Order: sequence, then structure tokens, then C-alpha cells
Amino acid sequence: MDKTTNLQIDFAGLTLSGPVMTASGTCGYADELSEFMDMSNLGALITKSISIEPRPGNPTPRIVETNGGMLNAIGLANMGLERFLEEKIPVLEQLDTKILVNLAGKSIDEYVAVADRLAREEAIDGFELNISCPNVKKGGITFGTDPVLIGEITAAVKAVCQNKPLMVKLTPTVTDISVTAQAAVDAGADALSLINTFTAMVIDVEKRKPVLANRTGGLSGPAVKPIAVYLVNKVYNEVAKDAGIPILGMGGIQTVTDALEFIIAGATTVAVGTSTFVYPDTAEKITLGLAEYCKNKGISDLRELIGSLR
Amino acid sequence: MHNEATQKGVFQAEVLSNQQIRRCYYRLNMKFDARGSRLFQNVLPGQFLEMDLSAISLPDETQIPENLKDKASRQVMLRRPFSFSDVIITPTADGPCVKVEILYCVLGPATVRMMSLKKGDTINILGPLGNGFSIPDHLTHALLIAGGMGSPPILHLASHLKHHNPNVEVVSFIGARNIEDLPFTVRIGNFKGLVLEEFELIRVPSHIATDDGSAGFDGFVTDCMRHWLEDNKIDPKASAVFACGPEPMLAGTAKLAKDYDMPCQVSMERMMACGIGLCQSCAVETKKDDNHTEYQLCCKNGPVFDAEKVNFHAE
Ligand SMILES: Cc1cc2nc3c(=O)[nH]c(=O)nc-3n(C[C@H](O)[C@H](O)[C@H](O)COP(=O)(O)OP(=O)(O)OC[C@H]3O[C@@H](n4cnc5c(N)ncnc54)[C@H](O)[C@@H]3O)c2cc1C
Ligand SMILES: Cc1cc2nc3c(=O)[nH]c(=O)nc-3n(C[C@H](O)[C@H](O)[C@H](O)COP(=O)(O)O)c2cc1C
Ligand code: FES
Repeated sequence: MDKTTNLQIDFAGLTLSGPVMTASGTCGYADELSEFMDMSNLGALITKSISIEPRPGNPTPRIVETNGGMLNAIGLANMGLERFLEEKIPVLEQLDTKILVNLAGKSIDEYVAVADRLAREEAIDGFELNISCPNVKKGGITFGTDPVLIGEITAAVKAVCQNKPLMVKLTPTVTDISVTAQAAVDAGADALSLINTFTAMVIDVEKRKPVLANRTGGLSGPAVKPIAVYLVNKVYNEVAKDAGIPILGMGGIQTVTDALEFIIAGATTVAVGTSTFVYPDTAEKITLGLAEYCKNKGISDLRELIGSLR
Repeated sequence: MHNEATQKGVFQAEVLSNQQIRRCYYRLNMKFDARGSRLFQNVLPGQFLEMDLSAISLPDETQIPENLKDKASRQVMLRRPFSFSDVIITPTADGPCVKVEILYCVLGPATVRMMSLKKGDTINILGPLGNGFSIPDHLTHALLIAGGMGSPPILHLASHLKHHNPNVEVVSFIGARNIEDLPFTVRIGNFKGLVLEEFELIRVPSHIATDDGSAGFDGFVTDCMRHWLEDNKIDPKASAVFACGPEPMLAGTAKLAKDYDMPCQVSMERMMACGIGLCQSCAVETKKDDNHTEYQLCCKNGPVFDAEKVNFHAE
């Protein structure tokens, strides 16, 4: 990497080699991408959601393509905490990048149990709280739409994270994202990440049935990018800037320019999701492209651009 | 950590030819660049690749099949998976040179775009992906069975066996809804009945079955194979069945193989977003033990599975 530009960045107490991460659920558990890129160019890898028990996930079809994007209903399929500890931690220890674990659960106790156990692992650098999960104790409403629940879960998980940063991942499927963002910040979140996917549906006209076995799925990819940029800017202006809380921006990032849009809107770091499926080294390409951009523009530190929207 | 034999990567391929072979079937021949050729030098039948077709333009309006005219204009973002019907590896002074043949069926926006590919075009490829068929030791009889668009890897397997396991007797059973849906050339065989030219050329007997009886056996390809097994006594312990096709056909084949106590490998298909184990979109339900099932990934643990392990979802 070109060293004339400083891409190194502090993010919620972590020193990242660069501002680009790979988004949860789009980069496997550990080393799936390491044969496609130099992992040290990645700011951090965010694992697939991990829950206390293994989850089989939904029946197929789990995905369907749409114009400029896709819907997924994987159903938080994951190997569960025990197997993750046994099989993936040793692999993650070898990776030359920061590791953030995405946490999922059906109750606050489940989230706390996973965070508590993983906080003791040296290979894990921090956590991302996926609050777009249904809460079984509260009749299945998702944690992520209720500011009171967000406060409770954030505080409870934060209490067991030891000195590791906790990032709260916001769902865009709410009336006012600043309300949920504020709830997370007030409860002690060290960073905010946005956006998760938009709940959506594709219909098979012949069968008059939804294409996905789960009926609905989350929309991601370039189609959501302009909305994601707007929401990052809104949360930056209304919550994060004054609170001094950094934002991880994501949603449809495919190019260097896309990443710059998020940074200018207020994101300190960005994550690539769906685009990795098509070109597995997209996150690395964007990192190198940002260095090139800064060099050409005479920007000595990328941080100058954060929230620089005029 | 990754040895060359299992490594995968992104590279370019050059189109050598793209020919229509039937109403909606095309044959695409490509030559891989040096990197792709290195990655594919040990490729096995049943493995696959993914093509980025997002920037390929639509063919002329008049060429697009009537039933796809509306659908075809949808954008393509994700790569599309394809297996191979043939792989030719030529050693050169600068390393191997790999040429690959794909048979494809025009079904939607991506495959409609493929119709417009022509000699000299370049395509971005990700591969080789997944695990191919494995040839058991002490095999004397290989029974190859395919349905419709499942045929390409079966042809590849037939020529692979002929080349690497010359002592194995290979027999193929190819089924389709009707003669138009067979992605091969049908002709009259030397003795009697119809055969497939592509299999004849590599000296593999081919038994055709069509659901409507328009060519070969009148009925399902699994019934065609059952009749053959009734007439030909083979040692189940030294035989194996290799299958690729729609899921109900694979389920039928698995049952038939079990009735005859023969091992059976099936190549499964799922909608795939990544092809490399990142997204978990391609789950296949498998038996973990007597009481438990687990999902495995079609792209990474498959697409070839031991039939005994799969819980088929026949529609
Ligand atoms: C491992 C593997 C190997 C394959 N090998 C071949 C091959 O050799 N030749 C060939 O013609 N096709 C093959 N396919 C299927 C091929 O990938 C699809 O036909 C193609 O993606 C269709 O894209 P489209 O945009 O034209 O149509 P779409 O509109 O995306 O799909 C058209 C129809 O095809 C079905 N379909 C789409 N993708 C898949 C898929 N991945 N698996 C099963 N059904 C699908 C859809 O349900 C729909 O009914 C293979 C698929 C897999 C998973
Ligand atoms: C197939 C798939 C699986 C995902 N799984 C998860 C997950 O397990 N946990 C989570 O917090 N987000 C998950 N996401 C959401 C992404 O992390 C990301 O927030 C979203 O896709 C927007 O970014 P993109 O448009 O770049 O993909 C998933 C997304 C996709 C496409
Ligand atoms: S297609 Fe993504 S994991 Fe198989």
C-alpha cells in the first residue's frame, strides 16, 4: 500500500490499518476471503452473526436478485458459539486484520452469554450488536425498532464486553433512525453501524407466491446506497457528531467513490457487503483506491474528509 | 495454507465460439488466461465456475425468445454458476493452457445476455469452485445419469473416466422432457435406436429417455436405468451411480441406487449469491445422524454430495 497517505484510523479505541471492513454475513466466518486479498489491507472483518446455539437457518430459496441488489433471508444460519470457539478462533488468530464479532440472539440473556464468552478471547477485537433479530420474550418484535429495548440490550452487553468496543448496528426499517441511534449511544455504544438491510419482497407472478421460502428478505446492494448515505448523514448530524461516536457506514458500496460518499456524509469507516459476492477483493480494491485518491488530491490524512459535507 | 490444487481465483477468459445447438441451448467455448489455466489444471467433473455477465449487452430483440422478452431486460448483478461439459488441458512451454466448454440453457436475463457473446469477447470468471465427483477405487461400472440441463458435467465425467480410468465400463442415461430439451445431437446408433453423438464420440453408450416419448425410452430416465439394471447384472460393490439434474430426478436416482445397494453421488443446484462460502444462500439439507439434519453449503461442501446424506425436496 502507498504509505504517503495515512489510511490508519482510530475507530472506537481500535487502531485499524485502513477504513474499509467487510460486512457481517457477506465474508463468512474467518479466512474465506484470504485467498482473494491481502487481509492486512482490510480494516476489520465482521463475522457472520453468532448466536449461543447453532441455528439451521431458513429453507431455500434464501436469496433472489433484484435490479441493482438482492434480497436475502438466510435466517441467521450459524454454527453457534461452541463450534465458533473450537473451529474459527484458531483461524481468526492467524489473520492479519481486526476481528469484530456480530452478535445475535433471541433474548438479552443470549446476547450477553455470547459476548461474555467471546470477550475473553484475545483474537476478538470488538463486537457488533445485530439488533434486527426477533425477541422471543417480547412476542417476536425486533429489538432494533424499540428504543427502550435497544437501551436495555446495549447496556447489558456493554457490561460484559470488558475493554472491547461495542458497536450497535441499526436497522433502516424504522420511522426515525436518529431515535434508535440516540438510544444506543445513551446506553453506552462505542460506535454505530448502519445500515442493515431493508425488509422487502419479490413475487413470482405465475405462482402468485413470494420467491423466498421465508416470504420476505432483506434488500442490499447498490440499490440501497443513496438511502444509506442519507441515513448516515442524518445520524451523523443529529446524534453521532455531538456525542463523539464514530459511524461505520454501509449499504451498496461498490466503488471508491461510493466509500467517499459515506465518509463525507459522516462515516469514519465503511463496510462492503453484497459487492464482495461478485468481486471477492472489492474491500481491498477500495482501500487501495482511497489511498490513490488522497495522494492525487493532496490529502495527507483521510480523516480530513469525515463529515466534510458542505 | 491453500495449495494450488484447491485454489480458486478471479481471471479472464476469451470466447472462442458460441453456437446455438437447439432451440434454447448453446455451446460456449472459452480459453482461459495464464492464471485461469493454472487454477484449472486439476479441475474435476462436477466442479463449476461463476461468470460475471453484468456488462454483457442483450442480443438483438428479434433473437430473444418470445417468452423471455419481458424478463430479459432485468439487470444482472450477481455472477451465474455453470459447470463444464468438457475441459481440454494442453501443456505449453509457458505452462498449461486450458479450454473449457459450457452448455447453457437460455432461461433468464443472464443467459439471454450470453447469447450475444462472440469470438474474441472476454468474460470475467471466478473458479474453480466446489467439489467434483470422486471416483471410488476398484470401480468396474460407472452409471451416469442426467436430466435436462444436468447433462454437461455428466458428459465431462464420461470423458474423464474414459481417459483416467480406461478399465471402468461407463454407461450413460440422459433424460429430458422432449427431444428439443436434449442438449446434445441425437442420431441413429450403429445397432438400433437413437444415441447421442457427443457420448458416441468418446465410446460411451448412451440411453435416451424423454417424458413424452419423442426420442428413446418413453418415460423418466430413472425408469430407463431401472430397466437396464434388470437386464444387466452388475456387481453393486464395484459399481457407482453419478447423477446430475433436477432435484426430483436426483431423489428418484438415489432411491434406485439404494434398491440396488449401489453408492450414488448427486450434483445439486441452488441459487447462489457468492459461490465461495461467504453468504450461506445455497443451503442443502443433509442428514447429520438418525435424528438430526444439518444444512451444508452447495457451493463449498458440494455441489456433489453422497446421495444417502441428502434430504431431497422434490417439488
Ligand atoms: C453448480 C451449478 C452448475 C450449473 N451448471 C449449469 C450448466 O452447465 N448449464 C446451464 O445452463 N445452467 C447451469 N446452472 C444453472 C444456471 O446457473 C442458471 O440457469 C442461471 O443462473 C440462470 O440465470 P438467468 O439470469 O439467465 O435466469 P434467472 O432468471 O436467474 O433464472 C431462470 C430460472 O433458472 C432458475 N435458476 C437460476 N439460478 C439457478 C441456480 N443457481 N440453480 C438452479 N436453478 C437456477 C431460476 O429459479 C429460474 O427458474 C448451474 C447451476 C449451478 C448451481
Ligand atoms: C447474504 C447476506 C447475509 C447477511 N447476514 C447478516 C448477518 O448475519 N448479520 C448482520 O448484522 N447483517 C447481515 N447482513 C447485512 C450486511 O451486513 C449489510 O448490513 C447489508 O447487506 C448492507 O450492505 P451491502 O449493501 O454492501 O450488502 C447480510 C447481508 C447479506 C446480503
Ligand atoms: S453461494 Fe454463498 S455460500 Fe454458497
